[in-house]
Amino acid sequence: MEAISLEKVTKFYDGVHAVNDVTLRVRRGAILGLLGPNGAGKTSTIRMIMNILVPDAGSIRVFDQPVSDATRQSIGYLPEERGLYPRMQVRAVIVFLAALRGMPEPEANRLAREWLDRFELGDWSEKQVHDLSKGMQQKVQFISAILHKPPLIILDEPFSGLDPLNVATVKDVMLEMRSQGSTVVLSTHRMEQVERLCDSICLIDKGRNILDGDLRAIKQSYGKNTIQIEFNGPDGFLSHPAVSSVNRFANGAEAKLKPGAAAQEFLKAAVQSSAQITRFAVLEPSLNDIFIEKTGHA
Amino acid sequence: MRKVWLIIKREYLTRVKTKAFVISTLIVPLAGIVLVLLIAFLISHRPQHTVRLAIVDDAGGLAPSVKHSLEHSPDSSTPQFIVTDTFDHPNTAEVERDLRSHVNSGALDAYLIVPADLTQAVELHTKNPGNFAVLAPLTAALNQALIGARLSARGIHVDDIDQIARGVDLQVIKVSQSGEAVEKGQTMGIAIGLVILLYSSLLAYGIITMRSVLEEKTTRTMEVLISSVRPFELLTGKILGVAGTAFTQFLIWIVSLGLLASYGAAMATMFNPSSSFPAMHVPLSLLIWVACFFFGGYFLYSAMFAAVGAACSNEQDAGQLQWLAMGPLVFAISFYWLVMIDSTSTLSLVLSEIPFLAPVLMPLRLSIQAPPAWQLALSVVLLFGTIVGVIWASAKVYRVGVLMYGKRPSLPELLRWLRYS
Repeated sequence: MEAISLEKVTKFYDGVHAVNDVTLRVRRGAILGLLGPNGAGKTSTIRMIMNILVPDAGSIRVFDQPVSDATRQSIGYLPEERGLYPRMQVRAVIVFLAALRGMPEPEANRLAREWLDRFELGDWSEKQVHDLSKGMQQKVQFISAILHKPPLIILDEPFSGLDPLNVATVKDVMLEMRSQGSTVVLSTHRMEQVERLCDSICLIDKGRNILDGDLRAIKQSYGKNTIQIEFNGPDGFLSHPAVSSVNRFANGAEAKLKPGAAAQEFLKAAVQSSAQITRFAVLEPSLNDIFIEKTGHA
Repeated sequence: MRKVWLIIKREYLTRVKTKAFVISTLIVPLAGIVLVLLIAFLISHRPQHTVRLAIVDDAGGLAPSVKHSLEHSPDSSTPQFIVTDTFDHPNTAEVERDLRSHVNSGALDAYLIVPADLTQAVELHTKNPGNFAVLAPLTAALNQALIGARLSARGIHVDDIDQIARGVDLQVIKVSQSGEAVEKGQTMGIAIGLVILLYSSLLAYGIITMRSVLEEKTTRTMEVLISSVRPFELLTGKILGVAGTAFTQFLIWIVSLGLLASYGAAMATMFNPSSSFPAMHVPLSLLIWVACFFFGGYFLYSAMFAAVGAACSNEQDAGQLQWLAMGPLVFAISFYWLVMIDSTSTLSLVLSEIPFLAPVLMPLRLSIQAPPAWQLALSVVLLFGTIVGVIWASAKVYRVGVLMYGKRPSLPELLRWLRYS
């Protein structure tokens, strides 16, 4: 059974298709990366899953039920547009939001204490929200999204505004929730996080689902056509005829080979040039490359 | 229902705990105390400015009797006069020049010129033409003197004139179901007080509801909320939560003002034993009806203000769009005098049946003269029917608007929102 299934879902505002005929299935217990350029329709898709927006055509099911006020009780949602009541105490806000999602207040209180301690916000729980830094508020938001232990978690840009340490904590929590059987949908621009965390991806552009499936399978389907090379000296060999595009770094480059070209030929040319090669690797394309290739822009 | 209750609770508690609420709740009774003390003080220490007057009498023979009746007025509430000079058939131009310089120097407050031909107007020359209080006693004194002169010309004895010319006093007594009461302006006082109270509280709490919705939008709390509760629940909870705050405040005010009024009346009597406060008898049925229209008006206008808040993304935009909600209220207040003059006219009936005006105009009619039961019932039915419609429409605007940021929607856009599913 799927956690989420979208069937030919369409939404338009004033004649513009925000979401256009999107079909998508999210496997239970998986982490799905929802990718796409700004304005691609990711947030509209999420809002329809949350039953905040109603699709103009198509159907959406969550845990095999048509979306309703009942289905969203089982979803933990961290919206992109987020904020908290500035003049409320931190723990009171968390408890209020959990209670709105159907959790009894005493239990919400107990869990809020635990989570605040885990995110090192224990000393701040009686403070007002507007006394917190932006990063701290982000953590409070994240806590209030997962406090009621939802079987499905939808996170829109969960890492924005967090320092690396907190990014790691949020990531750990996500993996922990997955190991407990929860399904996670992660909408983000941070490809390296998706690559490390997600089991599958869905790439949306101009309202359409242009690529979705198992992340590993997608990468394999592109074959090993990416070369990572580090070197000192002149870089004239990078314009070898087997190379289709180059991404230059300080101490090396990432080169993409033309279809059918042999990495061996390129390596030979590099060695024969006066550059000193320190590293040479043949890889699958990065998600970033796939994203750029598919959407035509970064 | 549990969610609506949670929203009411949060809205109520966070509002009641604010400094602004505590201060505004205390300031009204305190201002009341200051006002009562001030009024009591002014009643006992009213500045008695005597008007110094000169009379130029071109008609002849009138000045002494004008002087007499002005200086011996039995009514202590009108301005006191002292007639400094009278001039019988003077060299008008010269005398007038002198008098004008006296007025300008402040030695004299005003002078009258009584023309030789009494079909012409009598002139009052003064630096302070805004002092209407002097006009009535002056006119009365002049008329009395003139009538006296004409009667004595027909051979009637001067001593009889006062008795012949004495008029009657007209006392107004209000007839109502609960009996009769001497009218000393309390009906008008209550009516105007009610209109001001209803208008200002509907406006104030409507705007509070609007800002509360706006706050959730500007702090971006809205989407988190809307993912757990339906817009209709959020709207209802918000309106009821703010209502709870409002009624808490009113209760504190009414209780404290009630105590103050009885205490204040006692104090005023102490300061000035001769002043008597007219009895303010407010029947219970009136209070219940007024409460009914107030609640109705409150829900109606709060829902409209909430929709305005939901449609805008900042205070400036909301400020520009709030006329949509304020308009009918201003309309109601600008017609209150029409209803007050004749509360039983067809115009008053029609105006007070219009749901957007009823919350102000029907209580006004009630305070003057109880309208027939069917008119009240019809007005209540229309009002509550409209409330359902307005809350429905507001919830629509709310549903679309709460997630819209950016430019303020135009009126056609707002209407289009109503058609969104």
